[in-house]
Amino acid sequence: MAGLSIRSITKRFGDTEVLRGVTLDVADAEFVSLVGPSGCGKSTLLRIIAGLEDPTSGEIEIGASIVTGTRAADRNLSMVFQSYALYPHLTVAENIAVPLRMRSLSAAQRLPFVGPFLPGAKEQRTEIASAVQNAAEMLEIGALLDRKPGQLSGGQRQRVALGRALVREPAAFLLDEPLSNLDAKLRVQTRAEIAQLHRRLNATFIYVTHDQVEAMTMSDRIAVMMGGEILQCDAPSVIYEDPNDIRVAEFIGSPKINILPVELGHSEMTLFGLVLARVAEASKAGVYHLGLRPEALKLTQAEPMITGTVAHLENLGSEVYAQVALADQTARVTLRATPAERHSLRLGAQVSMSFDLQDALIFDVDGTRQRRVEVALSNEREVA
Amino acid sequence: MTRDIWKHLILVIGAIIVLAPFYMMLSYSFKSPGEIDRGTGGFFGRQEMMVDERCVQLRDPNRDEIAAAAPQYPGKSDREIRDAIMEEAAVACAMRPVVFNYTKAFIEAPLLRYLLNGVIVTVSIFVIQVLVALPAAYALAKLKFWGREAVFGLVLFCLLIPVHAIALPLYIILAKVGLTNTYAALVVPWTISVFGIFLMRQFFMTVPDDLIDAARMDGMTEFAIVWRVMLPTAVPALLAFAIFSIVAHWNDYFWPRIVVTGSRDLFTPPLGLREFKGDADGSFFGPMMATATIIVTPLIVAFLVAQRRFIEGITLTGMK
Repeated sequence: MAGLSIRSITKRFGDTEVLRGVTLDVADAEFVSLVGPSGCGKSTLLRIIAGLEDPTSGEIEIGASIVTGTRAADRNLSMVFQSYALYPHLTVAENIAVPLRMRSLSAAQRLPFVGPFLPGAKEQRTEIASAVQNAAEMLEIGALLDRKPGQLSGGQRQRVALGRALVREPAAFLLDEPLSNLDAKLRVQTRAEIAQLHRRLNATFIYVTHDQVEAMTMSDRIAVMMGGEILQCDAPSVIYEDPNDIRVAEFIGSPKINILPVELGHSEMTLFGLVLARVAEASKAGVYHLGLRPEALKLTQAEPMITGTVAHLENLGSEVYAQVALADQTARVTLRATPAERHSLRLGAQVSMSFDLQDALIFDVDGTRQRRVEVALSNEREVA
Repeated sequence: MTRDIWKHLILVIGAIIVLAPFYMMLSYSFKSPGEIDRGTGGFFGRQEMMVDERCVQLRDPNRDEIAAAAPQYPGKSDREIRDAIMEEAAVACAMRPVVFNYTKAFIEAPLLRYLLNGVIVTVSIFVIQVLVALPAAYALAKLKFWGREAVFGLVLFCLLIPVHAIALPLYIILAKVGLTNTYAALVVPWTISVFGIFLMRQFFMTVPDDLIDAARMDGMTEFAIVWRVMLPTAVPALLAFAIFSIVAHWNDYFWPRIVVTGSRDLFTPPLGLREFKGDADGSFFGPMMATATIIVTPLIVAFLVAQRRFIEGITLTGMK
């Protein structure tokens, strides 16, 4: 077990820059998710950590030693692939045993026919067999050990791939979208199991996914990647509640955060012409983005801040999401309502909403979070 | 319905065209020379007892032998003794045509020796071809290196070179090295099969990269990946290649004819057919066809056994 540190890694394929100076430190036993839309470079970063791809520049450090340029096999990392990548000609037990066989048996001991009779081979082989047995029991695939991968279901293959990764004690586990080939129900179940596995093994995990729910539910920290950069790396709650960048705010959270244009004058902030708040110390005047999570919007009768008609309803049972087309605007906002409020939400119904400015996130036109403006707004409120 | 009939009619005609030579071969291998010449006797021939003229001639006694045999025929002239011996010989040399043809094939030509040579040569060629083609195909399909496309272009180019065009230079090289009339001469020129490299490369392209990456993570070297991961997954393609390679070299008449000039110990099965090639005393079609039947039988049996996987390998489907 060891920590990992990635220092200003860049990677180019020809003229396209896939990674632009990524720096990330992962502590020992930490679970870090790399999350981002497809093509953001997260898988490339994982492959560079694994040693399957060489970075154009930058360094990778595992434990206390720099491994840039070291072969994948010598980095002592385990990887679980999206396609599981099990050896189709080997049984489950043999598949799981491969990393141990390649490491603990000498080339001569691995030979067919002769190998098992060489001195020391027998002890090694019993050790490997018991390690395989342990791994299989941990993942509850003990009954499948004699089958070939072709005879297994997707979920079972996934477990075998996990077994092959954890049968030895690597410095870190790298997981490349391991759940994306599973059906929705199994995905939720396996998600919990991987999180438990992390706790039990107390090992370093680096988990690549495009699914923000996976990242939110499993990780100690989430690194949100876009365009070859890490935009923000923080605990899931911080990423959700306190994003640094509008792209992070938009990527994390489902349904998506509502973004509304606001105008900041010298002394006040307006939304569609309505004065939201007064600002004491004027920041740079201009157009800003106001970010509101669906749960920040509340249905109200008195002093509505925004009004509109319900354009689409999604009832999930425990909650209701309503898309509201704003009056005189092209934008729609998504509102989360409790089932109790459902009666007031019908398609085409007029609704009025308000929100607490404390729940609002303010970004400038480039998408950078403007905490100073938020502070200024709240100070003003206290004064008032 | 009528369309089906046409379809089958065309297929039947095609099958007849393909099978007719085999039918002739098998039929001739059963018949007596007379039946072959006259074209009578149906498929199996009448299988009447026939006398092997050469066998009888070999038993024609000379003066000493007649003298030695004289005590057995008291009171007979030399001429009568000879006639008696010749009569016995005719009885001893009488046999069914099918027995005649096949015993000739094995006795006149050392066919077992030829078959053994055939096995040695084709198996060595195939094994070395695989040893060369698999790593080469792996590199061309899965490793990134400078000039890979150019190398693959050369491989494709080599596919276009007909064997006969380079036969003479090859022969001269082997002769200069002093390798003619050895197994090496039969094997070495075929050990690098560009067709094998090409076929395996196309197959390896379909093997997912993740599998190779997983093997690297598991601590395998590139060579270990070739033999422990790629080889087992490529068995269907290898079988297809095996059939192409073995059929081609088992049946090859041209190359062994060129490099094996002296010793019959190195003859491969097709060269065995020459034993019955008609010289002054006419062709022995019966034994020749019996030899041909014996030569093709192992291939047909092997094909029938491996048929399903062979077709799998050629179409390269069923693998993901």
